[in-house]
Amino acid sequence: MTNQTPFADLVESGLVGDPRNGSIWRALRQVFNAHQLADWRADLARLQASGLGPAGLEAYIRATGTLAEKRGPLAALALAPCILDVERHAGRAAAAALSEATAPALRHLGNERDFRDWLDAVAELAAQGPESVAPVLARSDGLLAELGAHGFRAWVLGGLRAGGGDPERRLALFSLSDPRAFDLFEQATGDIGFTDAERALKAYLIALFRQKPFIRAVAGTPGDTLQRRASFERQFVQVPARMRGVATSSVRKVYRAMLAHIGAHLVHSGPRFQVRGLKPMQVALVSLIEDARVEQLAMRELPGLFRLWAPFHTARADGGVTAPSLFARLSRALIDPNYRDDDLWVTKGRQMFFADREAWVDPGISRQIGNLLGNDLGQMRIQFNPRTYRVEPLYRDDNSGLWDTDDAPPQISDEQDVIVETVRIERTQDLDDHDLESSIPDDDVGQATARESRADDGVPVGKYAEYDYLLGRERSEWTTVVEYQPQPVDTTLLDRQVQSYGDVLNRLENLVGAARVSRPARLRARTEGDRLDLDATIEAAIDRRAGLAPSPRVYETTERRNRDLSVLVLLDISESTKDFVKGSSTTILTFERIATALLSQALSDLGDAFAVAAFCSNGRDDVRFYPVKGFNQPYDRDARARLAGLRGGLSTRIGGALRHAGVVVGAQRTHRRLVLVVTDGEPSDIDVADRRYFVEDARKAVQSLAHSAIDVFGIGPDGAGTGYLGRIFGRRNFVVIDQIARLPNKLPLLYMRLTS
Amino acid sequence: MLRTLGGSQFRESPAFSGSGFGRGIFFPEPRELMTNLDDYRIREQPYYKAVGTEIALFEAAHQARMPMMLKGPTGCGKTRFIEFMAWRLKKPLVTVACHEDMTASDLVGRFLLDANGTVWHDGPLTNAVRYGAICYLDEIVEARQDTTVVIHPLTDDRRILPLEKKNELVRAHPDFHLVISYNPGYQSVLKDLKESTKQRFGAIDFHYPAADVETEIVAHEAGIPTSAARTLVEIGIRSRNLRGHGLDEGASTRMLIHAGRLVAKDVSLSAACDAALVLPITDDPDMREALKDAIAACI
Ligand SMILES: Nc1ncnc2c1ncn2[C@@H]1O[C@H](COP(=O)(O)OP(=O)(O)OP(=O)(O)O)[C@@H](O)[C@H]1O
Ligand SMILES: [Mg+2]
Repeated sequence: MTNQTPFADLVESGLVGDPRNGSIWRALRQVFNAHQLADWRADLARLQASGLGPAGLEAYIRATGTLAEKRGPLAALALAPCILDVERHAGRAAAAALSEATAPALRHLGNERDFRDWLDAVAELAAQGPESVAPVLARSDGLLAELGAHGFRAWVLGGLRAGGGDPERRLALFSLSDPRAFDLFEQATGDIGFTDAERALKAYLIALFRQKPFIRAVAGTPGDTLQRRASFERQFVQVPARMRGVATSSVRKVYRAMLAHIGAHLVHSGPRFQVRGLKPMQVALVSLIEDARVEQLAMRELPGLFRLWAPFHTARADGGVTAPSLFARLSRALIDPNYRDDDLWVTKGRQMFFADREAWVDPGISRQIGNLLGNDLGQMRIQFNPRTYRVEPLYRDDNSGLWDTDDAPPQISDEQDVIVETVRIERTQDLDDHDLESSIPDDDVGQATARESRADDGVPVGKYAEYDYLLGRERSEWTTVVEYQPQPVDTTLLDRQVQSYGDVLNRLENLVGAARVSRPARLRARTEGDRLDLDATIEAAIDRRAGLAPSPRVYETTERRNRDLSVLVLLDISESTKDFVKGSSTTILTFERIATALLSQALSDLGDAFAVAAFCSNGRDDVRFYPVKGFNQPYDRDARARLAGLRGGLSTRIGGALRHAGVVVGAQRTHRRLVLVVTDGEPSDIDVADRRYFVEDARKAVQSLAHSAIDVFGIGPDGAGTGYLGRIFGRRNFVVIDQIARLPNKLPLLYMRLTS
Repeated sequence: MLRTLGGSQFRESPAFSGSGFGRGIFFPEPRELMTNLDDYRIREQPYYKAVGTEIALFEAAHQARMPMMLKGPTGCGKTRFIEFMAWRLKKPLVTVACHEDMTASDLVGRFLLDANGTVWHDGPLTNAVRYGAICYLDEIVEARQDTTVVIHPLTDDRRILPLEKKNELVRAHPDFHLVISYNPGYQSVLKDLKESTKQRFGAIDFHYPAADVETEIVAHEAGIPTSAARTLVEIGIRSRNLRGHGLDEGASTRMLIHAGRLVAKDVSLSAACDAALVLPITDDPDMREALKDAIAACI
């Protein structure tokens, strides 16, 4: 066998240099059999013939060297066909980039199958989005770190679908300059992120600690390979949107441990520590003791937390005498009584900590013990590098919330450590159609202008008083309610959205069925009917014997008992309902529409008299009232078309709308009359800045309706804890929904419960 | 209607004095069914652990015969309390569980036919009024409003019960005391007490007892060691934190006792909580998850 490399001819012809090819050659020889070696040589020739060029060839040779060594000969041989594919569709530069990307990609592609999945995805991208191959390959490392091979493929396919036939749009998506790329990204990872578990996790935190901080999930930047830590700052908590490198089955557990830990801080950590004169190492140690302290306190009441937290502590006593290792070992020693560690420093820390058991309620001991241990480490000349230090284990927060931020040591949160806030789509006006909204004709912007021009189509239908709490009285005829006709639109989308709530529909169907069945079907003691009411007949006979005049009401009939109830559903469609609901691309108004459609369906199945209307306002002279369905109109396609045609805009002068609603429902001759208000936030309008004014006026309106025996019930989000719902509707007559997205699940069932 | 009679036309029956069973002459004929309220006496002391000053308060209210309303969430001990008080005050206790199809006759009484003609049969309320019992109307909101109004004349100074059908006006026995229960957390606009009803009552507000007290109750009622009862109570507290945050109600004392009884039968604590608490309380998968995890943290 010759000592020459198989690409000696290329070297000689000057096409490629001879970069470290001695070692590459050795690697190839070790892994390939003669047959495979020949194949490889043939591939090389083909690549050369295709015009890949010297740099490309060299990169190929290097890539296959690495591949052969790390993932075996078959993987190495799989590369060339893909390069040829990419070259054919996307050109030479992209083809060369593929070889370049191989080595970094391999770090995240654990086996040959993953590698092939990745190649397939790249080939697919080349065929359908050639312009995007190079930017994607350039980010291979980060993308694969975040997504894995499987997720990468899903992401590529998702991007191709979303980008459609438009190369520019595809490019924007794949080079991550379009914020939607992150959405796709989240979908593609396929594993659970914070938002999937958010509701349950928040409830968990409330159950354990009665803490309800604002929690924000922060997406990482693709390419950032470090595992992020949570962070809190008083009542503001940030958690990583995804737990990278955590098995799907454990993700919830990590989040749970994380929030339980932060909950322990919120309850047991005192005022923030002053950094004054502390070295970074001491800061880290004080934080570490503080972590252990709050956990111990929490475990006194909630012993089960031990089982949640302890398994994350995996430091070992043979872990080496470096600062990170010692810190992790000390952390473990402070929580896990079964952990044995004979290191003197760890033992000392442990003894000091547990000797102070009685003083644990005092955060001062964290400072005290942390400082002492820090001094010891200094004397042991153990180096501490604040740049690379991260709090262990994974579930613990970065502890920045423990320290006074004004002079917090920048060392402790090294730049990568700070959670980078990336684009989260919460309120994005310029984000045009996609997903569900896309098929609604007339986007909101167009509609708003259209409506402006139709403004004088409104018909004034009433003037109502308004209450000024500062004056303590009402100003009569202060607001004008103007009725506008909603523009009907096609209902296909709305119908589809409603159908997607199959489980709610099913439950409603059952409830409606039950409500009908459980209503006594027999109407007793009637003056007429198809048979005798036995009880009434006996009673009449008795009366006769007792010498009393018998009642003629001795018949009974079977009839669906009239629930004798009218309800007006009043929807808030102010500007804010155009916002996208957090974590989705659906607007609040869309959820209101779906919820109303579901409820309306149930109502018409039940046979309850109902009407639907919407409102918004533009100053006191233009409180807009949109009748969607009247009490004597059927809930049919036309009604749905009007519902689907509601568009958000303007302000929320709820009082005026309520008074008008009262007039509308007040005309109903039923025993009970109910106005069910769906709001999305505190009332407001352009002509008065004082928010309280509208809340108080609305409260007054509710009270005046109550005087006319009309019940008003509100449902909405809690308005960042302002309690405005309770203020307006009264303590018992409102329901807070924690997520607008759950309105379609909640509203119809709420109604069923209200009237059960 | 012909049958409507003015108050003056009512004949009065003599108030029955002295405690004990009833024996008296009543108008009109035919004779009343005689009722022996002895059956309604509580002979053995019911287990009741005071949560606050409710015993003294109720005793005072009883002395004044002030109609009382026991407010509080379900399963917090209202029923047990009234049983205990009846025992303590040595008064018979007539309990009526109200339901939506209940009519006024179900409370007051009605004529029935027998071989000789018609017989009036006192309802439970009338019995209590005549012979001097504590009458406990449980979950009064459930009853129809036209039913509820029959108690009105009993709850002001008149202390009378007109039996319209029978053309009789029953003056309440001095021992008669009306008590109702009312769960304000119950949200239904169709079911609420009329203002005019509510305002006739004094009220005692019941809450779930403090942790130590509740532990003792759970341990006693379920027959489990204090330590296990304590854990259950901690779990109860966590679940109550979720009230209004996804749950309509947290776990009641009654539920904790149920879980405890399972534990007493050697079911593991977490399985017992699952069966007696998590599953009955909510169908919402997120809330179930949160509850289960919170329970795990308590054990
Ligand atoms: N203070 C207490 N002392 C003793 N037992 C109690 C006490 N509080 C609750 N319990 C126990 O809780 C159980 C439920 O209480 P109870 O039946 O009195 O509830 P309630 O308030 O009447 O509920 P509901 O409104 O559903 O009728 C009782 O059977 C009893 O075992
Ligand atoms: Mg911490």
